[in-house]
Amino acid sequence: MSKVIYRKFERHSHGEGIKGMSTHYCPGCGHGLAHKYLANAIEEAGVQERTVTVSPVGCSVFLFYYMDTGNTQAAHGRAPAVAVAHKLANPNAVVVAYQGDGDLGSIGIAEIISAAQQGIPITVIFINNAIYGMTGGQMAPTTLMAQKTSTSPHGRDRLMGEPMKIAELMAQLDGTVYVERVALFNSKERIKAQKAISKAIRLQVEGKGFAFVEVLAECPTHLHISPRETQKWVAEKMVPIFPLGVKKDVEKDPWFSLPAPNFDTQQMSKVIGASSEAEPRYAKGFPSHIAASDIAFKLAGSGGDGAQTAALLLTYAAIVEGFDATHIPSYGPESRGGTSYADVHIAKDEVLSPSAPSPHILIAFNTPSMVKFAPQVVAGGTVVYDSGVIKEIPKLNANVRAYGVPFTEIALSLGKAVVKNIVALGALQAATNLFPPETFLNAVRISLKEKCAMIPVNEEAFQRGVKSCQETGAKK
Amino acid sequence: MAPTKERPKPFLIPKYCKGCGRCIEACPQNCIMLGKDIQPETGLTPVILNLEKCTGCGMCIVACPEPYGLAPSPLKADYELTDPAAMFGPRASDAPEPKEIPDKTIPLPQLKPMVLKGTYASTIGALLAGCRHFFGYPITPSTEGAELMAKLLPDLNGVFMQAVSEVATINHMYGCGGAGLRSMTFTSSPGFSLMVEGISYMIGSEVPGLIVNVMRGGPGLGNIGPEQADIKLACQGLGHGNTHCIVFTPSTPQEMLDLTMLAFDLGFKYRNPVIILCDGYLGQMTGMVKLPDHMLQPGIPAWAVYGDNMHRRNLINSIILSEQDLEKHNEHLNQKYATIEANEQRADLFHCEDAEVLVIACNIPARMSKGAVQVLRSQGVKAGLFRPITLWPFPIKLLKPLLSHVNRLVVVEASNCQLENELRLALSHAGAGHVRIDHLQHYGGILPQQQEIVDTVKTKA
Ligand code: SF4
Ligand code: SF4
Ligand code: SF4
Repeated sequence: MSKVIYRKFERHSHGEGIKGMSTHYCPGCGHGLAHKYLANAIEEAGVQERTVTVSPVGCSVFLFYYMDTGNTQAAHGRAPAVAVAHKLANPNAVVVAYQGDGDLGSIGIAEIISAAQQGIPITVIFINNAIYGMTGGQMAPTTLMAQKTSTSPHGRDRLMGEPMKIAELMAQLDGTVYVERVALFNSKERIKAQKAISKAIRLQVEGKGFAFVEVLAECPTHLHISPRETQKWVAEKMVPIFPLGVKKDVEKDPWFSLPAPNFDTQQMSKVIGASSEAEPRYAKGFPSHIAASDIAFKLAGSGGDGAQTAALLLTYAAIVEGFDATHIPSYGPESRGGTSYADVHIAKDEVLSPSAPSPHILIAFNTPSMVKFAPQVVAGGTVVYDSGVIKEIPKLNANVRAYGVPFTEIALSLGKAVVKNIVALGALQAATNLFPPETFLNAVRISLKEKCAMIPVNEEAFQRGVKSCQETGAKK
Repeated sequence: MAPTKERPKPFLIPKYCKGCGRCIEACPQNCIMLGKDIQPETGLTPVILNLEKCTGCGMCIVACPEPYGLAPSPLKADYELTDPAAMFGPRASDAPEPKEIPDKTIPLPQLKPMVLKGTYASTIGALLAGCRHFFGYPITPSTEGAELMAKLLPDLNGVFMQAVSEVATINHMYGCGGAGLRSMTFTSSPGFSLMVEGISYMIGSEVPGLIVNVMRGGPGLGNIGPEQADIKLACQGLGHGNTHCIVFTPSTPQEMLDLTMLAFDLGFKYRNPVIILCDGYLGQMTGMVKLPDHMLQPGIPAWAVYGDNMHRRNLINSIILSEQDLEKHNEHLNQKYATIEANEQRADLFHCEDAEVLVIACNIPARMSKGAVQVLRSQGVKAGLFRPITLWPFPIKLLKPLLSHVNRLVVVEASNCQLENELRLALSHAGAGHVRIDHLQHYGGILPQQQEIVDTVKTKA
């Protein structure tokens, strides 16, 4: 008796009476054999201590009654997803997913195909007995044509589709290294089955890839014939549709290994981009000449105008100055080529409402944004806009000042259209004196610390925005 | 040539034979026959062995599906033919008693605040909390979190896996959490719907894991605007059966980080998944985030199926056949839920001490509400904001005492009464269902705005 099978089945009705040493399977069922060969294979490979067996939903849901390994019971069809995660959690574990035909070939078809294509080394044992056992004899994806089941009482017909040839399907997928279909109906086939299952475990232990064994098995109970007749039925009826043999056996070098997770604090700081250096502050205090304790901004343009980047720089600059700030972008399809707008708030203590339906300040990059948002700017507020693009100023609330600066033209004259949003920030600075120029420039430099070569042109763009705004002044 | 070993003949304890007859056709010497006597214990008819011609070829043993059916007989044995202990030896499982490998808290140097969007803050919180496994399926507006994970995890030797679906995602989390490790996903409403089956399995099997749901407009495909339309699902509908998870509702990027870290701790403390509900706005919103003074290197809990000998005894499972056992398991879950309800209710109270009207809101609508409360106070209205940070358990213990001076509640939400229903349920259980409740609701990606909230509080007074 393999030592990978529990000496007593404590989980089978608490191991009481005969159930402590007897399986829950019907006489003549194929599952017991497949379990036994699996246990033998695990023992042979010497990996019992690090094996995790994943039980499916189906008659073999109680595989964990028997296997003296780590055990996880998975939801219907999901054993491969669960098994892959076990392997990723502990690459040293040997993980086996054991599934029936309904579990693997029907409800779990997406999980098995993606796991097999991915090819992470796990072992899948697939029991094909052409019927649903646990739920009481319904049609399986592998039920034969004309076979009668409780949900194909007149026999499986064309409307129900042809039986699914899973092993052949698995062999097509790139991640599998070994696929074989075996059977249990005579001594010769049983010995081949044992060998195949052993090989499928070994390939995993060697880290070579995803190994798959389809086992044609007997379910006498739902075929309503004797165990011996069922073996004959598998041999004569199933084998012609599901030919036995090796479907794929490719030599691959061991490839699977994962490094141990890293918990080094320095690496962590680096990875998340955190630093302990304090940024310099330049502002003397909160810009309460704009609003007492909370300033709302809207930045709007088309997708490529850089409104979101400018909004983030603004947010960042304010936070570095010790204030609270938030940025909400418009997101999703509308940000793909359409209008893109951002709501920014800067607050002395805490931003309360982060949206900006009536901003104090608008930066508009194109005409639709100007038309839509400029009238929403509160009385006494400020509009900064691209005067090369926007030719008309809509009706504004009382005392709103509008500053036209040719963001795009200036950016083009610097040879970099993408810096127009930085020109806009320069114009914003000059128009509102929100923060000193250094506050913005510092934010720009930090955001470009990985692209240092870009810093001079951005600085230049900012200064040109400031200058142009000062020269043009506000239009009423 | 080595001397040929004598090959053992088979033996059988009849009560473990199911009479399937596989061994009969397997024997080339016809040593095995159908029996005639029914075993009283099983009602089955074991085979009969007549081993005179037996060569010890072992084919019958290979053919027997029963683990304690046909087995090689001990050579030169003087065994008692009906005693399994004598036959199979006394060996029980030699797996050791599992022990916990404890978590390690590692101090961090003082780091300056970061400027992060909500999903990024949650991502960084997860990394600091020791999560090195992410599983997910792209869905707007949650995907940036997954994308950042994909970018950062390799540098921490972590694993990012894009699953084939949300269904696979939650089952990856079931496997990884079952192995005792911290895993998470970002998703949004339609994806969350797909995950609830798996969440039920996680709860049933007591597997922790963090699901961050950046809620969007529904039903169906709806839109990607911010809603709070999954409160019902998260609080009352986590799949089939007796299920609950702690449900957090952050309202700032800072809370996205803090609550993500807390969620992992509580998830493992209670062996239960945890859900963070945030709306599309909060997922996308950038703000200041202060970093904690420590990070975590998780150990492995004693109950995990890690795939090593220490944890070999363990089982992650939610199928319990016996009615008595399943009732007991549910009582155990109920006890856990009661402990969580007693210990984990959280809320943020703003101007609640002397309030006569309380605005109740969570996520981003709570921020608009906070602004509104400030305006109302400046206008002389005694308003306060009660902001649940946990929706399950609902923080009724913090709300109930306020009802001595509050005569009206105004629920502000971006959903069709889902927050209000949680509130009403909690009030009703607490015997405080008499208080007047008004509401302001929006759907479809529109959030209640500050002025509207002010108006609602005033006009409905
Ligand atoms: S129903 Fe079929 S598959 Fe299930 S245990 Fe019985 S024989 Fe085996
Ligand atoms: S060991 Fe071989 S010869 Fe002996 S009973 Fe078994 S199958 Fe027959
Ligand atoms: S194969 Fe095993 S269970 Fe089946 S009849 Fe023979 S001894 Fe009994």
